[in-house]
Amino acid sequence: MATPSAVIARPVNSQPQEQIMIQLEGVEKVYRTERIETVALTNINLAVRAGEFISIMGPSGSGKSTLLNVIGLLDVPSGGKVAINNRPITSYSDRNLALVRNEEIGFIFQTFHLINDLSVVDNVEIPLLYRKGISGAERRKMALQALDRVGLHARVHHFPNQLSGGQQQRVAIARAIVGNPRILLADEPTGNLDSQMGDEIMDVLKHLSEQEKTTVVMVTHDPRQADKTERIVRLFDGRQVN
Amino acid sequence: MFKHICKLVWNRKRVNFLIILEIFISFLVMFSVIVLTVYYADNYRQPLGFDYQNVWYLQVEAIEKSGTAEKQDRPQQIEKFKRVMAAVREFGEVEAVAGAQYLPYMNGNWSSCNDVNGKPVCYWANAVTDDYRDVMRINIVRGRWFGKEDDGANYKPLIINRQLAKERFGNEDPIGKALNQLDKQDSLPEGKRARVEERVVGMVDDFRKNGEFAELKGYAIYRNSLREADDRLPRVLGVRVHPGVTAAFEEKLLKRLQNEASDWSFTIKPLTQMREEMHQQSIVPLTAFAVVAGFLMLMVGLGLIGVLWQSVTQRTKEIGLRRAKGATKQRIYRQILGELLVITTCGALIGTLVVVQFPLLDFLGFATPKVYAYAIVISLLLIYALTAVCGLYPSWLATKVHPAEALHYE
Repeated sequence: MATPSAVIARPVNSQPQEQIMIQLEGVEKVYRTERIETVALTNINLAVRAGEFISIMGPSGSGKSTLLNVIGLLDVPSGGKVAINNRPITSYSDRNLALVRNEEIGFIFQTFHLINDLSVVDNVEIPLLYRKGISGAERRKMALQALDRVGLHARVHHFPNQLSGGQQQRVAIARAIVGNPRILLADEPTGNLDSQMGDEIMDVLKHLSEQEKTTVVMVTHDPRQADKTERIVRLFDGRQVN
Repeated sequence: MFKHICKLVWNRKRVNFLIILEIFISFLVMFSVIVLTVYYADNYRQPLGFDYQNVWYLQVEAIEKSGTAEKQDRPQQIEKFKRVMAAVREFGEVEAVAGAQYLPYMNGNWSSCNDVNGKPVCYWANAVTDDYRDVMRINIVRGRWFGKEDDGANYKPLIINRQLAKERFGNEDPIGKALNQLDKQDSLPEGKRARVEERVVGMVDDFRKNGEFAELKGYAIYRNSLREADDRLPRVLGVRVHPGVTAAFEEKLLKRLQNEASDWSFTIKPLTQMREEMHQQSIVPLTAFAVVAGFLMLMVGLGLIGVLWQSVTQRTKEIGLRRAKGATKQRIYRQILGELLVITTCGALIGTLVVVQFPLLDFLGFATPKVYAYAIVISLLLIYALTAVCGLYPSWLATKVHPAEALHYE
């Protein structure tokens, strides 16, 4: 398992610290069915600076994952405004949302979501498949570099089920950062790992935030991991609480 | 992306094996139907070599006698036959009349074989009177039709089609050559040896007695001069009537013939009716086979839709992940369809490898290489079309996967 010092740095973004990478204004999310209406988020206002590492905490059903989905453009808010890197994306088409997700945002999930039928390196290449103008050789090179950055260069041809949980999450991180996104969204990245592996993953995320100025938004239940972030956003019943 | 799809299909080979097998079997069934269809279609567009319109088939059934009595009676029967022909010719409605062993579209064939350089050359044959050419409007492309110059000749004149000329004489000009090899009959039993040279006097392009769906086969037309003692009595009369002659003429004709030969029986049918009956013999089995194959394809199609539907459902998380990683709906659609087409290629490729062995095994031996090639291409196009159509709905379903929900799908 690689330590943060083993993580190879990528070119540092030269954005000023004050740049707002994620801006949410009065965001609401309501799920409507024929019978009931469920309010998942109410009046969420949030600004995350470039390179900032924040965590979102709250009890189950408080809207943490919904908020992450809205930030990650996987879900459309019912109201309010969302801007990514100063670009309001509220009226974006599916094609444009996919483009922003591909270029600006990397996702890490609690259950890794690796494709078991693809090798580690093929899994990492996936985001690059949807990016224009990258040849197969370039894709492979970038995927290997990403795996190198998370200290998994020796496991590139393994399949996910041949790896430990921590290694699988590292693959997921490599897949998230392979396209050099400015934002990393992590949904309980340590939730399925033991504390030691969880710490190692946190070290990788911290390194990405501090050294590579990647904006990291992490949903977690674990106060110990949340304390390692710069700021904690707390949710309760879909509302922001202090 | 193509490489990625191929890799996915290969890595999921155990799951995809059954689909590939299903497509392979479908391809074989489809190929069998198509090779027959192409074979018939290819035959249909070949020239017939005769004109069946306004020709009536007139079957003549003489009272059968056997042995010596028959031989003795034959000259009288021939004379009676000539009178019957003359009686038919008397009618203003009749353009031409000829006697023959067979008319086109009649069931039954007279086949004959000759040994050529150790290989048997087999062909169908007929014996006709001189007017047969006018009745069937046969076009001679080389040499000549039978004529008075053949009367009393020391050879048996015959007309062959181009196919038989090619098989028997290769690229040589067949005119004036002997179809049988009198010097190479030592191995044949005494009774089977030809006594006279069978000399080719003319050649026609084609003559496909069994009609449009029949294969082009070697064909020889012998002369029946109705003079020689060993000439067989023709079994049928071909009567070419003027256009517009109706069925009412049948009755008038039959009455006249019964007066001429009261101990013979006659049956009349337009050749167009016989043609339809013969076509039915080809089309009905093909249609039945095609219907069965069609149902099989329908089952395969529904099966494929089901399997793909299930696959899309099982891969909901993966689809959600791909959407999260930047795949548009269109890319997801193309990927699911692309995977199916790669799987189809595997099944169709194995199928193609198998069917190209058929000619070597002499299975479906009636089909020429051209028919085979067309059948393979058409089968490939159809199997791709079938799987693509089956993949449309599951692929569309895949685009409806909501990424946020898919990532939490259990």
